[in-house]
Amino acid sequence: MVAVALHEGAHPRNVFTRRDLRGDTVLDCDVVVVGSGAGGAPVAAELAEAGFDVVVLEEGPYYTTRDFTANTSAMIRQMYRGGGATMALGSPPLLFQEGRAVGGSTVINGGMSWRTPDEILARWRREAGLDTSPESLDPYFTRVEKRIHVAPMDESAIGNDNWLLKKGADAKGWKIVGNLRNQVHCVGSNRCAFGCPTGAKQSALVSYLPRALHFGARVYADVKVERVAFHGKRATGVIGRSAGGHHVVVRAKLVVAACGAIHTPALLARSGVRSRSGQLGKNLSLHPNVKVVAIFDEAVTSWKGAHQAFQVREFAEQGLGCFAAVNMPPSILAMSFPQRGAQLGELMAQYDKMVLAGLLCEDSTSGSVRTIHGVPQAFYQLAPKDLAQMQRGLVLLSELLFAAGAKRVLLPFHRARELHDADDARRVLAEPIPAKEWEVVTVHMMGTARMGRDRSRSVVDEHGFVHDADRLMVADASLFPTPIRVNPMETIMALATRAAGHVIDNARRFLS
Amino acid sequence: MNAGSRAVLRSLVPVICPPDAVPYGEAIVEHVGLSLAATPVLVQRGFVAGLAAYDLGALPRYLRRARALTGERAERYYASWEHGVTPLHVQFARGVKQLMNLACYEQPEMMAAVGYRVGPWIEEVRAKRLRVFADDIAKQERQIIAPDPLRPRAKQEVA
Repeated sequence: MVAVALHEGAHPRNVFTRRDLRGDTVLDCDVVVVGSGAGGAPVAAELAEAGFDVVVLEEGPYYTTRDFTANTSAMIRQMYRGGGATMALGSPPLLFQEGRAVGGSTVINGGMSWRTPDEILARWRREAGLDTSPESLDPYFTRVEKRIHVAPMDESAIGNDNWLLKKGADAKGWKIVGNLRNQVHCVGSNRCAFGCPTGAKQSALVSYLPRALHFGARVYADVKVERVAFHGKRATGVIGRSAGGHHVVVRAKLVVAACGAIHTPALLARSGVRSRSGQLGKNLSLHPNVKVVAIFDEAVTSWKGAHQAFQVREFAEQGLGCFAAVNMPPSILAMSFPQRGAQLGELMAQYDKMVLAGLLCEDSTSGSVRTIHGVPQAFYQLAPKDLAQMQRGLVLLSELLFAAGAKRVLLPFHRARELHDADDARRVLAEPIPAKEWEVVTVHMMGTARMGRDRSRSVVDEHGFVHDADRLMVADASLFPTPIRVNPMETIMALATRAAGHVIDNARRFLS
Repeated sequence: MNAGSRAVLRSLVPVICPPDAVPYGEAIVEHVGLSLAATPVLVQRGFVAGLAAYDLGALPRYLRRARALTGERAERYYASWEHGVTPLHVQFARGVKQLMNLACYEQPEMMAAVGYRVGPWIEEVRAKRLRVFADDIAKQERQIIAPDPLRPRAKQEVA
């Protein structure tokens, strides 16, 4: 069984890596999918099952569950683009993380699986003229949820940090929801961000890709696609290079770009695609995240238990998407502290009593991705409104943590002093914090090839087909017309599934 | 990283890392090198250039390179960059600190010192999952490859 083979670490026969590409290679297929993450993998699986010959190209390496170890920094080096050192330029620079491995960012995400909120879908209908009613998307969400096994957490796997988050939210009377995640009996190893070592998280690596392989798709790892090939306006395949330096040419009837919101616009730009709307690479949304560290009197041992078992949604409609407890290993936490030397040692000695909690902001501004000498560079300047929103969020999050019993709260600013109670939080955070002092991160990049009916305002149509090209489709978070307030994986998968259905329904047009 | 960069980083271990990490200085420097090698080329070059500037920047004030500074003088010199006169100084000092703190707490002894014993924990919960939930795991694996076409009546009809 292919799924078992992937899970247990055997090498499936139709996965090819740099070791298999010993010379220049030319492949023929019906559909070539560039990227194997939340967008590419569902498209590949659906089209392969429909009987089409599918080739998936992935820039990153191929790992199996067995390769996911407790060595945090090795996992980051191997599976994060740029070793995790990728940033959108602005003040402050905003660190973002993307997966670069077979399975894409689904291998390193937290597994949160939420449908697009109805208000966001309504906004897309209103502003972009899209058919995105909850009813029309329901079959696709349902299908995705079945495939990746979206389910609430087993209570036994929920760690103390998440129970404290719930305690604080309950004390404040705030809305808190159990997280839905793509997992089959997650047992709380709390290693989601470094590759699930138990196989519980149903990333594309252990769900959609094994399905695609089962139905005959071929996956080529370690291949970076340089450009899409065209005959006139019609995409005819892609040209890339293996990690060993050999040329890889894939001739296809349909090209699907699913490289994420940073690299998809770059691939299109490198390939000479020019959107008449001028929106290619624009409209970058990031869901800026900030975090605080709360220190309790008693041991919390946050590293035992599921990642993000709950989300506080009290302020979601006010632009603060959620608050969540998000444990990180000591090395990652130590990176974020301003302390050093003996002071760092004293602080880290409290590691077992720490709760790391973060908040997600629905951004009101947007940045861009520019392609400079073929390489994408993101630019993003946090809006004063969003900074103020995050600052308000930090007050609220600190209040919650103190209500849960925290004794100290450390803020995400350079040179910030620590807080000792909720009044302290309100007092310290009453004055605006200069933008350059913030430490902001994200894992949600969206919007750089946005969809819409109006060609003059969008890059692709509602199925992801590029307006100004033929047989070239986008299937990733680049499509989103706006930020979506929740974790984007399920939305990406549902839209990709709908797009695959559109291709199947119109096979004569797209695949003859 | 070249030998000069490594020497500068080695001299920074007592300044940036907690005192109980100092015995692992070589391993920390090695780890910084591995992390750096995974970053974009521009970051690598900038970092190495920054280390060289940091090293030479000590000469006017201390008449020796940063790599040769110890104790209070090494501390004062790093602090002068940390609160530096230009944003570049500040960013570089932060970047070095981040990479070294990452490397420091990736050392097994340092992880154990803060109570983080994740390897045995992973083994424990992995075995538990396979033991307790074997039926559900097998069910999902069957579901993954079970026929369930998106368009049930569609058959590839293109020539």
